[in-house]
Amino acid sequence: MVASSNGRAPARLGEVIETSTVRFWAESDRLNELPPLGSLVRVTLPSGDVVLAVVAFGQTTGIDETRRAIRRGSDAVRDDEVYRQHPELVQILRTTFEALPVAYRHGGTMRRMLPPLPPPLHYSVEAAELEELTELSDDPRYLILLTYAQADVPAEQLVAAHVRETFMARGRDAIWLDGVARVIARIFKDDYDRLVPILESIEP
Amino acid sequence: MTLDLSRISSEVERLAIDAELKSGPGADEALVRAYLDVLDDDLRSRMATARTSWLLARPDGVFRAAAAAREAAGDFAVVASDGSFILPDRHSPARFYLINVGKVLLRYGTEPMAELSAEPTLYYREEELYVPNSVRRVPVNGAVLGLKRSTEELRAVAERAAGLPCPTLALQDGSLILWALESQPDFVLDWVLDPFLETMQRLRQASIPVAGFISAPGSRDVLNTLRVSVCDYPGLGRAVNCDDCRGRIATEGRVPACDVLPDVTDRHLFDRVARLRPGERSQTFASTSKILERYGRDFGIHFFYVHTGTEVARVEVPRWVAEDADLLDWTHAVIYDQCGRGRGYPSALQEAHEMAVVKLEERRAVELLIEQALANHGLTATRSAKDGSKRGRFI
Repeated sequence: MVASSNGRAPARLGEVIETSTVRFWAESDRLNELPPLGSLVRVTLPSGDVVLAVVAFGQTTGIDETRRAIRRGSDAVRDDEVYRQHPELVQILRTTFEALPVAYRHGGTMRRMLPPLPPPLHYSVEAAELEELTELSDDPRYLILLTYAQADVPAEQLVAAHVRETFMARGRDAIWLDGVARVIARIFKDDYDRLVPILESIEP
Repeated sequence: MTLDLSRISSEVERLAIDAELKSGPGADEALVRAYLDVLDDDLRSRMATARTSWLLARPDGVFRAAAAAREAAGDFAVVASDGSFILPDRHSPARFYLINVGKVLLRYGTEPMAELSAEPTLYYREEELYVPNSVRRVPVNGAVLGLKRSTEELRAVAERAAGLPCPTLALQDGSLILWALESQPDFVLDWVLDPFLETMQRLRQASIPVAGFISAPGSRDVLNTLRVSVCDYPGLGRAVNCDDCRGRIATEGRVPACDVLPDVTDRHLFDRVARLRPGERSQTFASTSKILERYGRDFGIHFFYVHTGTEVARVEVPRWVAEDADLLDWTHAVIYDQCGRGRGYPSALQEAHEMAVVKLEERRAVELLIEQALANHGLTATRSAKDGSKRGRFI
């Protein structure tokens, strides 16, 4: 695992369980815990390159897809207590999330484009470090990649979620947000109906 | 050709009508009367001398006694196992079988946790494919393989249950009475029972109660006891003697007194007649199965029926558990609690089954693995022509 610039190992979130050039799925290390929609995650490849991807979807389901979850609680047994009363749930359920690669780092260079190779299966997915997120988002033109993705979440929702997450992580950087709004306006210049809700939702 | 359902639909209708007639009003009248008429002392003396052709259930106390479930409180654990196998296949290029034992540990209370795993074992050696014996070759297949699986399931559950820091119940799916042994030669009996009873002994030494849970039980031991109870022979000053009675049907046109009782299961009796309420269990009974003579005194199997909330199930325990009132109540409580958590069927068994089951594609994968290994050693794997015709169907 690559140590970050502050000397700590990046927090592992989960592991790649399905992979491709345009998206990968990861299984969370902990049930019901997953990175927020729009947050940035990283996978370090065997070559040392780092793939950066935006979380585009999350879900918790049975490990065996043919078994559906059923109600376990009642008025007296709710929420976390359900898990205490049914400790096996932690073993038979899993939380997974989908991430869309938007950039990769090769050597010292950050490239805002699809990585040449998908992250290998079973490699660790970590939360991106703040400096990586800052460096990536300094030039927000990569946002267009999110609009190409055939994702379950509508592209404008995904872009808005990612911008919100990044804006907060950057310490509510209003100047940065201004620049991002302009990039988004360019991306959606032909689609006013989609543009307005994005701009409204990223407003500080 | 697929199954032509239209060809059997009218029979299905008649089947339903038959079932309706059997369960109509008054169907259980004689049964209710026989059940309520049981006198414990009278039944005991009848059973002491009875010669029956059926398996009887010997009540451990008052015949009609029922007990509500206590609450399963505090820290406790349930360890369960279940097994499945890949049978030896004579169409396969290599002779082998596989037993996959699913193991589950569920802990409740202050430190809830779960551990789910499966332990597959491949058997292929001569002494594994045949029950070792110098005279006869009994292949480990069918019923004998089922018996081996039972011993493996019990071993797995005992190993995992040992040494846990809280009271633990070892739970098995199905009967603790190895019925299939009844038709087996002595050397097969020893081969199965030695490890089985050794594990039973280990569980007892560790004071870990073991219980077999049988959903939708088809047994009739208690019903058979009711037949003894309604028999008219003692009234005529004779001991109950089924062979004698049945023999006189043809010669004297005799109608056995117990013919008033319908041909139903114990489950029906405790559900519809004794009317156990959710959580309640019946009296415990000792099974009089012949095979239990080989189990030894402490490991004779006793059983009770319990209303799980959705059905009446049968629970079997060894004698040392049945005789310890506290342990029996605790076992009853934990099983009812498990059924509550698993919507009528113990959660631990449910998960053990899920862990054990070998899917069709996994069977294929094992075969492929073996074929590849054979090929790597220069052995060409040839499947039978019949098997080939099923895999590559043509017209």
